[in-house]
Amino acid sequence: MKLLTCPVNGTRPLSEFIFGGEYRQAPEQNSCTDAEWAAYVHNRHGAPGDKKEWWYHSPSGTWFIAERNTLTDKVSSTYLLSQKNLNEEKAAQEAGK
Amino acid sequence: MSFRIPKQAREWLNRDKKINFTFEGETFTGFEGDTISSALWAAEQKVLGRSFKYHRPRGVLSLANHDINVMLTDGTDTNMRGDIVELKEGMSLNAVNTIGGVKKDKNSYIDSISPLLPVGFYYKAFHTPRRLFPFWENIIRKAAGLGVVNFNYPRILKRKQHAHCDLLVIGAGPTGLTAAYEAAQAGLEVTIIDENRHAGGSLGYNRAGDKASVEYLDDLLNKVVRHPKITLRTDAYAAGYYPDHLIPVVEAGGITKFRAKAVIVASGAFEQPPVFRYNDLPGVMLGSAAQRLIYRYSVKPFNNGIVVTANDYGYRVAIDLLDAGTKVVAVVDLRSGSNGGLHAAELYRRGIKIYPGHCVYEALATSDKSSVRGAVICAYDDKENIALAANKFTLECDGIAMSAGWAPAAALLYQAGTGMQFDYGVQQFVPNRLPEGVFAAGKVNGIYDLDQRMRDGIRAASDALRHLGHSVAPYAIEKHNGPSPSHAYPMVPHAKGKNFVDFDEDIQIKDFENAAKEGFDNIELMKRFTTVGMGPSQGKHSNMNAIRILAKIRSLPVEKIGTTTSRPFFHPTPIGHLGGRGFHPHRLTAIHDWHQAHGAVFTDIGAWKRAAYYPAANHSKEDAIQAEAMAVRKSAGIIDASSFGKIEIYGPDAAEFLERFFTGSYISQKVGSCRYVLLLDESGVVVDDGIASRLATDLFYLSIGTSNAAAVYREMQRSQQEWQLNIALVNVTGAYGAMNIAGPSAREILASLTDLDLSYESFPISHIQEAVVAGVEARVIRVAFVSDMAYELHVPMAQSQHVWNALIEAGKKHGLRPFGSDTQRLLRLEMGHHMPGIDTDGLTNPFEIGAEWAIKMDKPYFIGQRSLSILAKRPLRKQLVPFVLASNFNADMPMECNLVIDGNEIAGRVTSISYSKFIDRCIGFAFVTPAKKAVGSEFQIRTDSGSLVTATVVETPFFKNQIKSQKGA
Amino acid sequence: MQALNESLNAKKDSKTALKTTPVAHAYIKTTAKWAIVNEMEIAVEFASNDIEQTRKKVLGITDVSCFERYGIKGPQASKWLADHELAIPSNPNSWALSNQKDLVLRLGSSEFLIEDQLDDVASKKLADITRVEGLYPVVRADAAFILSGSEVLNLFSELCSLDLRDSSLLANDVVMTQVAGISAIVMRQNLNGEQVYRLWCDGTYGSYMWEMLLEVAVELGGGAVGLSSYKN
Repeated sequence: MKLLTCPVNGTRPLSEFIFGGEYRQAPEQNSCTDAEWAAYVHNRHGAPGDKKEWWYHSPSGTWFIAERNTLTDKVSSTYLLSQKNLNEEKAAQEAGK
Repeated sequence: MSFRIPKQAREWLNRDKKINFTFEGETFTGFEGDTISSALWAAEQKVLGRSFKYHRPRGVLSLANHDINVMLTDGTDTNMRGDIVELKEGMSLNAVNTIGGVKKDKNSYIDSISPLLPVGFYYKAFHTPRRLFPFWENIIRKAAGLGVVNFNYPRILKRKQHAHCDLLVIGAGPTGLTAAYEAAQAGLEVTIIDENRHAGGSLGYNRAGDKASVEYLDDLLNKVVRHPKITLRTDAYAAGYYPDHLIPVVEAGGITKFRAKAVIVASGAFEQPPVFRYNDLPGVMLGSAAQRLIYRYSVKPFNNGIVVTANDYGYRVAIDLLDAGTKVVAVVDLRSGSNGGLHAAELYRRGIKIYPGHCVYEALATSDKSSVRGAVICAYDDKENIALAANKFTLECDGIAMSAGWAPAAALLYQAGTGMQFDYGVQQFVPNRLPEGVFAAGKVNGIYDLDQRMRDGIRAASDALRHLGHSVAPYAIEKHNGPSPSHAYPMVPHAKGKNFVDFDEDIQIKDFENAAKEGFDNIELMKRFTTVGMGPSQGKHSNMNAIRILAKIRSLPVEKIGTTTSRPFFHPTPIGHLGGRGFHPHRLTAIHDWHQAHGAVFTDIGAWKRAAYYPAANHSKEDAIQAEAMAVRKSAGIIDASSFGKIEIYGPDAAEFLERFFTGSYISQKVGSCRYVLLLDESGVVVDDGIASRLATDLFYLSIGTSNAAAVYREMQRSQQEWQLNIALVNVTGAYGAMNIAGPSAREILASLTDLDLSYESFPISHIQEAVVAGVEARVIRVAFVSDMAYELHVPMAQSQHVWNALIEAGKKHGLRPFGSDTQRLLRLEMGHHMPGIDTDGLTNPFEIGAEWAIKMDKPYFIGQRSLSILAKRPLRKQLVPFVLASNFNADMPMECNLVIDGNEIAGRVTSISYSKFIDRCIGFAFVTPAKKAVGSEFQIRTDSGSLVTATVVETPFFKNQIKSQKGA
Repeated sequence: MQALNESLNAKKDSKTALKTTPVAHAYIKTTAKWAIVNEMEIAVEFASNDIEQTRKKVLGITDVSCFERYGIKGPQASKWLADHELAIPSNPNSWALSNQKDLVLRLGSSEFLIEDQLDDVASKKLADITRVEGLYPVVRADAAFILSGSEVLNLFSELCSLDLRDSSLLANDVVMTQVAGISAIVMRQNLNGEQVYRLWCDGTYGSYMWEMLLEVAVELGGGAVGLSSYKN
């Protein structure tokens, strides 16, 4: 059984986790067209490659993001969504300086 | 007469303990430590089994679980492998798959008609006409098969455990032992496993008469066994490789799932039989099997033996045979140019005749076919791989030892994703690209020389150490040098066949040729058509030869043929082992025992055990449900609702969170009031609903249905991860017990236990109060789910039994009775409430169930809002409507999921239907086309039997509100 | 904060409102001696002292659901602990002991479980939380267990896939994992000089958990141990 690393609870067997689907950013709902929204809701990009995925560590109730290559099944990093946002903000700020 | 010889160094026997047993009705004696096969062979019993297809007599082939010639039953276990199963006092054994015993199997006639049964015969002969196939199948299955399943097999619990180590070494031969010791010396915690009863691998039996190998092994084992960082487990096989180094290890008592940080596979190699006519006769065995007999069990394989070899190993075997007291008649070497190495010289010295460039053309059977009486020898063209039978001659013997080469025991390496390549230097597939943390060493890595194997163990240990972050210098190892341990094509064609490649399945060379002719010339197709490698030993002794034969047929190099997929488990593993203890987690409410004591019938809802109804003596389920429902309508009923999902949403943004998560409006919700919540997914499909009660400006108490509660809470947590609002979510599902007391007398019963003003005016529907009930702090909610005169009490779980008891006691004089979840479904239907998951499906949007009223489209955002804005522009395709059947309806009762039919078209389906004794009508919900949604419309339901039933659309609720005061309702 | 009814405690009648251990259903098959501890009915004795002491050494399973416990979460939770002079476990998923008797488990980063050890009622005083923003109560109804004895890791090896040996489960670690297929909290601590493992799970799974623990414990030569044997 695969192992997965929860950013809070550490490395655990996959049986402790629930898959939450691909992490995708919704289009701005007030400005997007119906077609764009429908594409977001109903279409998934199934080609293998690097994906951001939602995973849930069930015993602790922790949602986090795993960056996984669906072709090789290698997980390159896991982090809380809030951490990533902070990181990205920091990076953006630094880029702006 | 006996083949037992004097005590050998490191033999596996306890000669002080004799073991008595019977085989095929005859009494035998062996020693403790014998396997069934070794004890029988010691008594010169050579016919130990019958083959699967042709019922040919069979004896020892590998003595190592690489074949299944010897399969036995003791009446309880079936398909016991005689070569490896240890002898036990009083065993009463019989060979499987015989009629009339292993010596005179009545099915042996099949062997004589085998030319009429070419490969694929059964497929072709019996599949048409199809109607006759069951008849033929019955006959075939009885004739061709293995043991008989014992349906009275005792259920014995086999534990499934987890274990952890830094390094798992598979195989306790010289390579594995050396690797384990090296790694442990460097500080790793090492577990080493071996499927044999004793560690040592080939070091224990491949001696070529050299006493030093015993001292070597003693020394190595001493170091390993005493090492505090090494755990050695024998009689344990690695059953498979699963991601991230999870290796299930199977032992008699159960399975241990090892999670290792690194794995060294030092699993060795399977000896492969050379293929010649009658190479399956009892008495024809692999060279390593002969050595195992001699050194493990002190049994002489035969009196006068011939060694047929295609590598230098056979010369070692010949010396071991001589030392065991077997007269070696000759060594026959398929190779013409080889000198046989060091050991050939010794054999010459000891006067043994050696025939290089010769083969055994065929083995000759004794008249009763129970053994070998001789071998026909002739010259062999090692380039063209043909026998030159012109000058053939016969040598008398009573046994033949065969050595032709090896196949790596690479199953786990394949499963781990190892890339293998064919190494012509050793005529073997060897690892080329290993996955991270997996290492191979020894024979499985194409290393054969003993000294070199041990150094390969050190090399693998150093690789594993570096993988685990230890700084150790790389250790280089040179490739195999010298003659190949395996022959490129050890096959001797024979016009009359019976030259077996796969002993499990009775597959001969010509079967491959026929398969190829029929077009099955890809290895995977050939495997399935011929069934090579599909027997219980899974190709351990046959796959490599099959690949070689196919390569020859197709004139391709071996590496172009490839190998078949190697799947777990490595050896067949009993179902009981796989089953283990079995966990069935279930949740009980604190009132569970009361329900049980009062005759409740329980139903599983998610993980919960819920009381479904409480049948009185001689009451049917239907009677019980109607009686419980009637009590709620006429006096009072109470239900344990503790399994409801209960979630607290704390914080300044609590209302904002609900606004985004659900469709309704909550910022404006007054403290003390309750509102309906409806959850959609992003596509606007109805997921679940429930009630949000506002207990404080910064606290909502949410109650939702049982089955979806965990998933809804999980989605709330996910949304909070995204939104990062100033809230805290607390799942109190298990912390609060809940009960709903409903009916005209509910208020009076509850009033006797609380000071709370329960008048309908001061405590109207859809309101919540905190109060003390029966001495316990409770949240009291007026929910009109099953009745408009109902109170839902939420109390600490550990005190819910106390409150329940108090209510039951107080309700006695009012005819209060408990009702279950099945009754609840009827009651809510009477009230006209639809339920997500029952009256909706994975495509239902809120417009289709008439839930527009619960949706506040003009707020900034809620999940599913954008999709609803699209859906709202479209015409409805279906509509959920309440309906009734004709009064006094007495015909075929429609069921949930029965179709609504309009002419020849499907117009919808029934989602809920039930007879209501209180209303005295059959009532329900159904999806219909929008054209039929108006009150008074009629539609047709087709029942299971095909009859059409007319239903009429009505309004909800199905009966008049019972509370007279408009204000309180 | 506006709440509905602020004078609830005044009306509470603790004499009649007994609690029942969440494991009660599983006791049906035993002839345990019951007692009321911290207002909860619980089994305190399953067998003679000798037998229980032997079980304790091999593999003892004790229901301690009656220990008072209380949960808090939110950004102000650490501060609140500090204000109440309770130890704050420094890392997520670790635990600390306050005043030798109050166990504080940090579950993740901002949630805490406070449990009174034997014969202590400190967490009662915690229950009178005045709600402030950023500090939220978590009502606990756990089934709680003590597992003791030489075979305890043997038991865990079957019910839990994690490595719980001392080298892996450090002295102050708290793990949230699955035991017997359900979510649970596990740690080890020293109780009366013995190393024991502690286990908590949702109370509604309490009977199931007890049955699983006991089934394995009995196979391994241990069994049920009453709370009395920890009160000496």
